[in-house]
Amino acid sequence: MNTEKVISGFFFILAMTINFGFVYGDPANLAYHSGYELFAAIVINLIATVLKLGDKTQLGSVLLATSLVADIQLIASATVWAVAIYVLKDMSLESTVAIISLAAGAFIANIVSVTLFIGDTLKSKR
Amino acid sequence: MESNNTIWIIIRRMRIPFLVIIITFSISILGLTLIPGMDDQGRPYHMSFFDAFYFVSYMASTIGFGEAPYTFTYPQRMWVSACIYLTVIGWFYGIGSIVALVQDKRLAREIDVARFRSKIRDLHEPFTIILGYNNITHRIIDWLNDEGIRVVVVDRDEEKISALELENFIPEVPALSGDVTHPETLKAAGIHKKNCQAVVALFEDDMKNTKIALLCKLLNKRVKLVIKSTTKTQSEHLKNLGVRYIEDPFRFVSHRIYLALTAPSLWLLEMWIFGHILKIREREELPRGKYIICGYGRMGHALERALKKAGVPYSYIDIRSNEYKETKDSAVFGDAEDYKALIEAGVKEAAAIIAATKDDLINLTILATAKKLNKEIYTIGRENTLDDITIFKSARVNRVYILEQILAEFTYLFIARPLAYRFVRLLHTREEEWGHRVVERMHEVLGENPLHFEITIDEEHAYALSRELKKGASIQLGTLRRSRENWEKHNPILFLLCKWDESRVELIPSDDIDVELGMKLLVAANEESREDFEYIVNNYYELEYVLNGKA
Repeated sequence: MNTEKVISGFFFILAMTINFGFVYGDPANLAYHSGYELFAAIVINLIATVLKLGDKTQLGSVLLATSLVADIQLIASATVWAVAIYVLKDMSLESTVAIISLAAGAFIANIVSVTLFIGDTLKSKR
Repeated sequence: MESNNTIWIIIRRMRIPFLVIIITFSISILGLTLIPGMDDQGRPYHMSFFDAFYFVSYMASTIGFGEAPYTFTYPQRMWVSACIYLTVIGWFYGIGSIVALVQDKRLAREIDVARFRSKIRDLHEPFTIILGYNNITHRIIDWLNDEGIRVVVVDRDEEKISALELENFIPEVPALSGDVTHPETLKAAGIHKKNCQAVVALFEDDMKNTKIALLCKLLNKRVKLVIKSTTKTQSEHLKNLGVRYIEDPFRFVSHRIYLALTAPSLWLLEMWIFGHILKIREREELPRGKYIICGYGRMGHALERALKKAGVPYSYIDIRSNEYKETKDSAVFGDAEDYKALIEAGVKEAAAIIAATKDDLINLTILATAKKLNKEIYTIGRENTLDDITIFKSARVNRVYILEQILAEFTYLFIARPLAYRFVRLLHTREEEWGHRVVERMHEVLGENPLHFEITIDEEHAYALSRELKKGASIQLGTLRRSRENWEKHNPILFLLCKWDESRVELIPSDDIDVELGMKLLVAANEESREDFEYIVNNYYELEYVLNGKA
């Protein structure tokens, strides 16, 4: 058993599942989506990104890229939320959908990341 | 990708600081959003993520704008005081890691390598790679820079590289510290580049030189190699590898002494190429008679060969500088035993003595002792390091051979003045009588201090002439010697060597040879006639006048 593999695998998959947890539910109704969940998704995604740093292989580069995409989408989602509340002072339907769809995009990036990670694990003989 | 190691090192090192910052920040933010606060009207409220993120960001970086958006309650303050220690420590740890990274040796080295690589990438002129930086190569660099040939230096020793950087060579000499026997280092120095002309390796260690030669040959077949080799087997190895130019300082000295003894005019011509005036000074004439060689190492053997070939009687005293210093516990030659050895070798009736050991002090004292025993004796000394030239000069040694200097001169000639180098090589195949005629002719035309230069007949160096040749004109070499003032007279100019290609070379070409495009010439001239010559070959009007006499 490879401890490093366990830790990184844990965070990669957790990043995806939490992300899914936030996205799941009616995209037009913010009441189905918890801010805490978005916060957790961002933090876990950032941690996953840092864990992917420094891998010089081809696969490592792609993994890092997917993680960066997820980070950007999630942070954009949180930014839209903050802007809607504090700057526009009105949580319109458009903002709500934007928040959820941005996070949904991040979720897809996370799926790609986890698929690649599992594929690589299966490929190795040990 | 491989050249970007710098970024990878930074990223790898920053992983843990990043993680620490992310985790401490997120714990603090989460805590702040969970703990109930009180707004300005006394109603309970929860901080939003944005407020918490904002507050933690300035708290952690110790900027501290105060409590926002409302004054904190006590539970909040308790949490914040815990957070301050948590995040500030995390933040400082991150900054500390960055500072440590800046001072990191490996990173500094990677940055140096990256910089060096980019310098090599930007090098578009022809350049020479010199391996090892020392007195010899320092001279070579100076001379090559004067010729406008760029130089790249690699040395294992970091301190030498920093010493080189302090020298402020113009143009700049990119330098890298690294293992010169490693192919990666050679590649970084640009050996595979098209404009890399030559690699110079003059290390003491013959094996190292051979290894470098082999590597260079494998990495780039076209590159010229200047490799030092002091033994015969080594030289043969190198020849088999296809190394065209092998430097054996002992052979050079042996050749010179042989020439000086048997063919002074040829010797003079060779010395003139290296910057000597075209006249043998009285004290430079080697006397006839018996020679004594002191020191019977590689140098001693080389001298023996020269003397034998020249048919000069000689004897030798076998002094090994290392052993001598150990057994006598002194680096000064000249106790009673030494006197005896010199007298036995026949110093009293000898014409000349050569001190050829590896130690400068022993050499000097040998010559001084010999002088004491025989006032008339001609002294020849071997000087090993370039550092203290003045000592040998003030010791009034008749002739000094500085191996390092000879090496530097030959290397320079081979790289920067290929025709002059060829000329020197061809001299050795000629007879003294021929040399004498050449020297006389040069004296007649140019006096005792002519200079020499090389020119290629192409559009870059001889614009008008090459244009004229392209039109199909037939121009003889002699025509180019005509004067700009009066086309019926001649400039003081002599052509020493004419080269069509590697296999077709002519020494002292006659005036009726047709000038061809791409031809290379070695010319002896003085300052003025050189300028005139360059005018004539580059300027239409001048050329026209010289050809037809029409102004």
